[in-house]
Amino acid sequence: MWFIRDSFFIGILEASPLILAAMGFTLIYYLNGFINFAYGETITIGAYLGAMFNVTFGFGFYLSIIPAALLAGGLSVATYLLLFRPAQRLGVRPSELIILSIGLSFMLRYGLVLIAGAENVFVNEPPVAYFNFFGTGATNLQLVALIFVLVAAFNLYWVVHKTRFGEVVRGLANNEELAMVSGINPHKVSVRVWFLAGAVGGLSGVFTGVFALSNPLIGWNIILITVMVSIVAGVGSVKGAVLVSIVAGIVTAAITLISKPLYSEVILLTMFIGVLWYRRGRVA
Amino acid sequence: MSYLIFSLSLLLVYVALTQLLHVQFGMLGIPNFGIVGFWGLGMYGVGVFNVQYSVPFLLSLILTGVLITLVAFVLGRLTLRLNGQDMVCATLAFSAITSLLVISEKWLTNGVVGLGTIKYPFDFGKATEFSYMMLLVLVVAGFQYVIQQLHRSDLGRLMFAIRDNEELASSLGKNAYGTKLQLFVVTSVLMGLLGGLSAPLNQFLTPNMLVPGVTFTVWIALILGGKENRLGAMLGVVVTFGLFDILIETYLPVPAEHAMLVPNFKLFLYGAVLIGVLLYRPQGMLAQGASGSDARRVRPL
Repeated sequence: MWFIRDSFFIGILEASPLILAAMGFTLIYYLNGFINFAYGETITIGAYLGAMFNVTFGFGFYLSIIPAALLAGGLSVATYLLLFRPAQRLGVRPSELIILSIGLSFMLRYGLVLIAGAENVFVNEPPVAYFNFFGTGATNLQLVALIFVLVAAFNLYWVVHKTRFGEVVRGLANNEELAMVSGINPHKVSVRVWFLAGAVGGLSGVFTGVFALSNPLIGWNIILITVMVSIVAGVGSVKGAVLVSIVAGIVTAAITLISKPLYSEVILLTMFIGVLWYRRGRVA
Repeated sequence: MSYLIFSLSLLLVYVALTQLLHVQFGMLGIPNFGIVGFWGLGMYGVGVFNVQYSVPFLLSLILTGVLITLVAFVLGRLTLRLNGQDMVCATLAFSAITSLLVISEKWLTNGVVGLGTIKYPFDFGKATEFSYMMLLVLVVAGFQYVIQQLHRSDLGRLMFAIRDNEELASSLGKNAYGTKLQLFVVTSVLMGLLGGLSAPLNQFLTPNMLVPGVTFTVWIALILGGKENRLGAMLGVVVTFGLFDILIETYLPVPAEHAMLVPNFKLFLYGAVLIGVLLYRPQGMLAQGASGSDARRVRPL
């Protein structure tokens, strides 16, 4: 019984960065229809920006979250405007855009190494408080991360499903020509979506950094699972992305409790390959 | 001198890997991002058999080949029906799984401590390293010969048909999936065997050799050189790996305190070049048929 309870509890608490990343990634995947591996670097740079505002500029941790997320959103927009939009205009197909995004991912990652070095970066954690729930505990940081997840998830869901802007996004994702004929400017919509997605990715990075540490590889380490979560959840489903990330978090926690943490990633990735195989040829 | 031989041998390994990717992606359209997975499995397979169980090198290579055949067959069955994007993700996941298992299975691989020493399969005294390099030259030459033959064979044309339009090829009664599976298994096993051949070069194996950078280096070489040209792989590796890992790292007088920057700058530049090529010259430096037009050799249907 403790095993199930602890897996659920730890899994949900530790899944916050993954949930945020999966939601942001899903938005771009849904709108533009290609897998953007460079989204991982949005996450990494979010973590580094958080650490920069926190350590170098002396912001408090909670305050440094805001500029980090905004600037990560800006970076995401920049990659869209400078690379992905020109590429789409030149007629690069989705299966080549994914290779392009891997190229961008390497460029950004090692550009960051050249600027900031490859060493681990730590943030000045705010005082850690520990709360007891049903015999297990959670830190204030984990709870703050979870609040951000809830706020972001609710907002994104609301934006996509209840607002005019969300309607426009769904219209563009389903039939770009039709949406354009009805007077929608796909460019403006894309910029806003890439900003939202980047900001959520930045948040994910900040929390990855404060839960453990930041190095240039954290984005790459999480992006594969993020992509898989998004594909398994079904293209464009923010709700699905949240649910599948939580399941992934719980599985990770359960496996870590009974065996080595490395196995959890092996098993998750194997499961995902299995899911892809099971759904082959069907439209997600 | 011996360092130059080491670098050139590694260059030959990369040429061979890129030639295999040319067959997989350039000719057949399979986006395999699991190169480091197969290469690493081969390297560690030979390492484990050879060091932990004292199996002779050649037998280790054969046993590893059998093992990787199974792995490639299962992976091919699981992924070859996926669309391009999902296939990229699945093969990346496969390489990630491989490197995680190499780290976690300490009883087999010594984990992060490293596994060594793997000796050369033969001992010619001072000429050993050079002879081994010549062996790799033979491998590359052999691959090139097969690629040349493939390009003008019926099988080659079937491969191009599958790459360009798999449904059409199937509807003409060709066994597209079966062809893909067979060729994927053969080329992936060869990637693994190249890993096995790299084991004595590196002598001492550590998990941080199995980084995505290996896969990426092969991809950038192929895309830059020309993915559909039979000589693209060779040219691509010479202008990427040859330029950076041999010319710059060996001969350019980089101050010691900046020496660590070179590999990072290299990967940064690889990323930038890959983007530039995909955007502005997707066919790469050598377009298909630039070296002797294939079009003239193809019989009219």
